[in-house]
Amino acid sequence: MSTQKLTSRNWFGKASAGAIPGFALSLALCGLFARFGPGEVGFFSAQAQVTMWLMSPLWACILSFCFLFQSGARAWLWLGGANVVLWGLLYGSALPVG
Amino acid sequence: MKIRSDIIRMYRDIHSWVGIVCGLALFIAFYAGAITMFETPLQRWASPPVQFDRPTPLEKTPELVERVLAEYPEAAGRYEIVLQTSPERPARMSWSTGPRGGGTTYFANLGEDGTLQVNSEGPSAVGQLVDDLHRQVGLPFDHEISESIMGTVSLLYFIALVSGVIVLLPTLVKDLFILRIGKNLKRLWLDFHNALGLFSLPFHIIMALTAVVFAFHHQFYDAQRATLGGGGRPPAEAHAEVPDGAEALSPLAIIARLEEQAPAFRPATLQYHFEEEHGLELRVGGVNPRYGMRGSTMGFAGVDPYSGALTMTGYMPGEQDGWFATVTSFFALHFGNFGGNPVRWGYFILGLAGAVLFYTGNLLWIETHRKKRRKGYEDREVRQTRAAKVLGALTVGISLGCVAGISLTIAAAKLLPQWVDNVAGWHFGLYYAVFLSAIAWAFVRGAARGSVELLYASAAATLAIPFTSLVSAVVPGLGWNHGGSTYLIDLVAVAGVFALVALARKTAQRIRSAPEESIWFAGRTVRGAAKDTGPVGVSSTA
Repeated sequence: MSTQKLTSRNWFGKASAGAIPGFALSLALCGLFARFGPGEVGFFSAQAQVTMWLMSPLWACILSFCFLFQSGARAWLWLGGANVVLWGLLYGSALPVG
Repeated sequence: MKIRSDIIRMYRDIHSWVGIVCGLALFIAFYAGAITMFETPLQRWASPPVQFDRPTPLEKTPELVERVLAEYPEAAGRYEIVLQTSPERPARMSWSTGPRGGGTTYFANLGEDGTLQVNSEGPSAVGQLVDDLHRQVGLPFDHEISESIMGTVSLLYFIALVSGVIVLLPTLVKDLFILRIGKNLKRLWLDFHNALGLFSLPFHIIMALTAVVFAFHHQFYDAQRATLGGGGRPPAEAHAEVPDGAEALSPLAIIARLEEQAPAFRPATLQYHFEEEHGLELRVGGVNPRYGMRGSTMGFAGVDPYSGALTMTGYMPGEQDGWFATVTSFFALHFGNFGGNPVRWGYFILGLAGAVLFYTGNLLWIETHRKKRRKGYEDREVRQTRAAKVLGALTVGISLGCVAGISLTIAAAKLLPQWVDNVAGWHFGLYYAVFLSAIAWAFVRGAARGSVELLYASAAATLAIPFTSLVSAVVPGLGWNHGGSTYLIDLVAVAGVFALVALARKTAQRIRSAPEESIWFAGRTVRGAAKDTGPVGVSSTA
């Protein structure tokens, strides 16, 4: 890791990473909660509602902390990579969750 | 706590910019939201007295329903029975035309002589207007677009909370219990902004995260179903076979059956819904004072209309399993509908404090922005940038326009029904006329002078609320007063008048002593007078 100082100048790359791969990552984390935890994905069962509600804190936190990446490119790379791993796990383990 | 200085600086920038982008929308949402905490007394205050001679006795409700369905068959799809009528729920039975109740709402009652009385003069439209302002800050777009904008604002708001806390962390212990009242007024405002933000942080986190879901739940559900499976229609709810010729129970019988099954639940409305494919369904709205609720003022129970048996208790306060109680808690925490009046007042005050947080945040941005630009250019003429001027005027105009507009349109509620037909349209028009004029005024007069004048205007508009009550009491045939908890509205308005006048006086003092480059500078330099301008020692370091 370089020790380059963080700045708000390259916010767009980081924020877009928080918004797009960040959203997909939140989805994947909800998927894990449904696949390996007590959550559900579906219509209006309480468990499915909780799984949906989880999106909000997850995505909001990713959006808030994505600025700690050195650059937009790194943010996209790390968040994108995390997506590949988690979605791989989800789709690899069983298709589909439900 | 030690945090690298570049991280602090970065998050300070982020905090300023997201704050600037969403601060004014949040001001309106919080101010209107604080008022919705007293939705029920406000609606009663604003609604004309019941038009019917007396509510149909509950035991005669089946007869009323039968008569209405015979004369107005379109009511059969969806109608509501109110167990306790009041000005804001004026009739025993009501139904709406149009898709999902979007059209006219009709109210029906049986006269003492057994005649069917129907009219469409419902409760005041002002409650709905305040609620719309709370949810969509009055954005003039399609519902879905406004919702997406508000969802985005809520996400930015969460980022502002996180970044604000990060910026504050290193000096938290030192700064938290300090209000530096002294020469540096900006420091005082910053201390105030920080203390307010930090002490109401849990409230703000709840509001930000729940508002994101309120705005984006469709998108979240769709995305989860599309990528995680579990799609398809929900399994058709099992409906018990209704034996031919079975009669739905009367409201009194339903109440009695609920009393047996859930004694602590207090039913308030019976909502009937009929469709060919699944027959008659009944949802009972009501409260249980010991529990938070899924709706803003009620929880709901699914009841079999033929046997009175509970069929769905997921949203029924006091009868939920852990998962449903968890989901309900998210709603209850947003609505503040748990814990009774102390929590309502707490939410009211936190909501107003939130509005103040955004107002002070914007003004801090303007002052800091000016200082930053000045750094290194001290020899040059110090002037407000155009951006600071525009933002200053917008902050003052939008915030105070919202305050004055809401006050005036509420005050008009007791008079409009006597003078105009389209009451809802007038409420809407009045609010926007005041709101837009206030913004224009702030631009014409500048933030400093404009703020004093608009504060007085807001005070006057707010004074109009108890004034119309007073006029209604003394002038026969004009307006109404329902007594009871509705006096609360008048009392809070009077308190608001005092607060607004005090603010106006304080601001007037401030602009007399503000330095030339401050947004509070109003054009005259009277620095000599700065010494005796009040207890906080307002001085030239704005």
